[in-house]
Amino acid sequence: MSRILVAEDDPHILRVMCLWLSRQGHEVLEARNGLSAWELVQQHRPEILITDINMPGMDGLGLLEKLKGYAHAPRGIVVLTNRWDHREIGQSLAEWGVRVVPKPFSPSKLAELIEQLDRPDALPEVERRQ
Amino acid sequence: MSDSSQANDTKSIGKDLIGQLSGAVSGASDHSLGIVGSGASPPHPPTRCLRTCLNNDPGQIQARGCSWLRAAASGRLDAAGLHNARCPYGFHTAACPIRVNGNTAFLLAIDAPPEDHTPTGKPPAEDRYEQVLDELESLSGAFEKVGQLLDENEGLVDEVLRSYEQLNLIFDFTQQIISFTNADEIEKVLLRRLGRLLAAQTVLVVGSQNTYRCYDVSVGKLISDGDASVLTEQLTAELEALRKSRSISVHSSASAHIVIGPLVRLDDRVDMVLASRPPDGDEFTSGDLLLVESLLSFGGQIISNAESHERLRRMSLESTRALVAAIDKKDHYTSGHSERVGYLAKLIGQRMGVPADQLRVLEMSGLLHDVGKIGIPEGILLKPGKLTKEEFEIVRNHPRMGYEILTPIASFGEVLAGVLHHHENPDGSGYPDGLAGEQIPLFARILHVADVFDALTSTRSYRVAFSPEQACEILCKEAGTKLDGEVVAVFLEMIPGLHANPPEELAAIFSSEGTDTGLGGPALRAKEVSHGAG
Repeated sequence: MSRILVAEDDPHILRVMCLWLSRQGHEVLEARNGLSAWELVQQHRPEILITDINMPGMDGLGLLEKLKGYAHAPRGIVVLTNRWDHREIGQSLAEWGVRVVPKPFSPSKLAELIEQLDRPDALPEVERRQ
Repeated sequence: MSDSSQANDTKSIGKDLIGQLSGAVSGASDHSLGIVGSGASPPHPPTRCLRTCLNNDPGQIQARGCSWLRAAASGRLDAAGLHNARCPYGFHTAACPIRVNGNTAFLLAIDAPPEDHTPTGKPPAEDRYEQVLDELESLSGAFEKVGQLLDENEGLVDEVLRSYEQLNLIFDFTQQIISFTNADEIEKVLLRRLGRLLAAQTVLVVGSQNTYRCYDVSVGKLISDGDASVLTEQLTAELEALRKSRSISVHSSASAHIVIGPLVRLDDRVDMVLASRPPDGDEFTSGDLLLVESLLSFGGQIISNAESHERLRRMSLESTRALVAAIDKKDHYTSGHSERVGYLAKLIGQRMGVPADQLRVLEMSGLLHDVGKIGIPEGILLKPGKLTKEEFEIVRNHPRMGYEILTPIASFGEVLAGVLHHHENPDGSGYPDGLAGEQIPLFARILHVADVFDALTSTRSYRVAFSPEQACEILCKEAGTKLDGEVVAVFLEMIPGLHANPPEELAAIFSSEGTDTGLGGPALRAKEVSHGAG
């Protein structure tokens, strides 16, 4: 079970995701925008980050930029995007080891991804990038 | 997510809640409170009992707890245990049954004097018991409420997750479906999606002639008619009624839960779609029906469009064929020539990796390549002897004429290049524009080879037909100069297969009768390959 940070500006989606993840036994942190997510990353060093792209203030891509140079970045990152730009974003983030899931997301597919990232032998993103 | 894992999740959050609640109430109360029973796993006995009787190990209830605690933990606390049952240390007790996760548990209270008060074995004053009971009763009411809310909350989360899953599948489906143009493919995708969305075991289409197309969702392929008729035999009358009214209905029997809905296709033909779940599965809900209704009406539209598109395409192909056949008939020697060139060009294109939609264009280009011959007077077209220079110029004008005839027809736009340039040669010696090498469009290069091969293997007014072998030899000789080398190479690779297994369309060329396989062969008229073919 991992410490998971969810960054999502839609309060309903955020609520449902957090309830669902904590029900699976994860420790869940929630953020409504990129900036508070960045603060939570520094304070709590979550192992997995699930982030939306479009958020007020600092968006998901801004958050990822911050994480690129950060030594304690989450070892697994999942990005939720709108369907129409998900292919583009997916390509630009793939080399980074970031998984991209189109919205509306499929809970079963997201669960599968998290299960993969949840394994202790899952490489930290930072190492995989080097 | 499977049902069983959801059930486990529900338990785990309930467990967590009991822990949190008992923590909260024990801090807020003068009395020591706890929750035990089959619905509360692990048990949370009152802190007082934990300390004095259980050595701080809640698992010790059955071994070391008093009879009151043991009865509560095993869910068998009787009326006598609910009100001030006997505590070995003489504290007042009270208990209240509650439901947790659908199971019975007991909210327990034991009078807990301030921390510094060590148990003496003497019961405290009787009025404290009333206090304990009051607090417990109000707490149990609150607890029950929280439990209900929690259950509802759980249900809502599940409901929302299910909707997300459905929404995701619907988005995927709509994205996927627009990339198909074939009605059968769309139907297949539609029914598999529907099956997955409904968590159905089988999805079945009953056509108007009682024909079945049946999809076993779990393995994603057709199941046998026998299995299909088992599902429908009780429902024949119902199916026909629903087909007329185009409405949706649900049936549950000992053998299956079934939902039936109409799929309206082109010309108002109505196919009925059945989706079934096994009898031990969930019944279909109104939400499921809504899904069936919207997906079937959406899918029906897309299928109708595809069918209508296909019909128009076929109509245009058939009218083109009729037109072309009429032109070919002007010269009985060229009867069927355009059809064969279209067919050969398609085969070559296929082998060269031309994508399916472009193969249609290529075939159409082959059909139409000689359409300009309609402008050549029959006297010239059918002349058995040598053509004069002027006559030859008229013949050479047929690609340009074909191009001009077809230009006003917008939907033939893609065939124009092939029609105009099918007599261009790689060495630049062809016509009408004298293009060379890569300047010549690929389809024109393919058409040229197909055209020459068919011309050589047909009898003409001035010679008998060459055998395919002889024709191939000629193609070989001309490869690279008059004919595109790569196309010829690909074409020659196809010949053994065509020989071994000649398709019906090419029977005129590859059937052994009618072609001259003798040595020597007919004399080739000068420049036939580069100028006069077709």
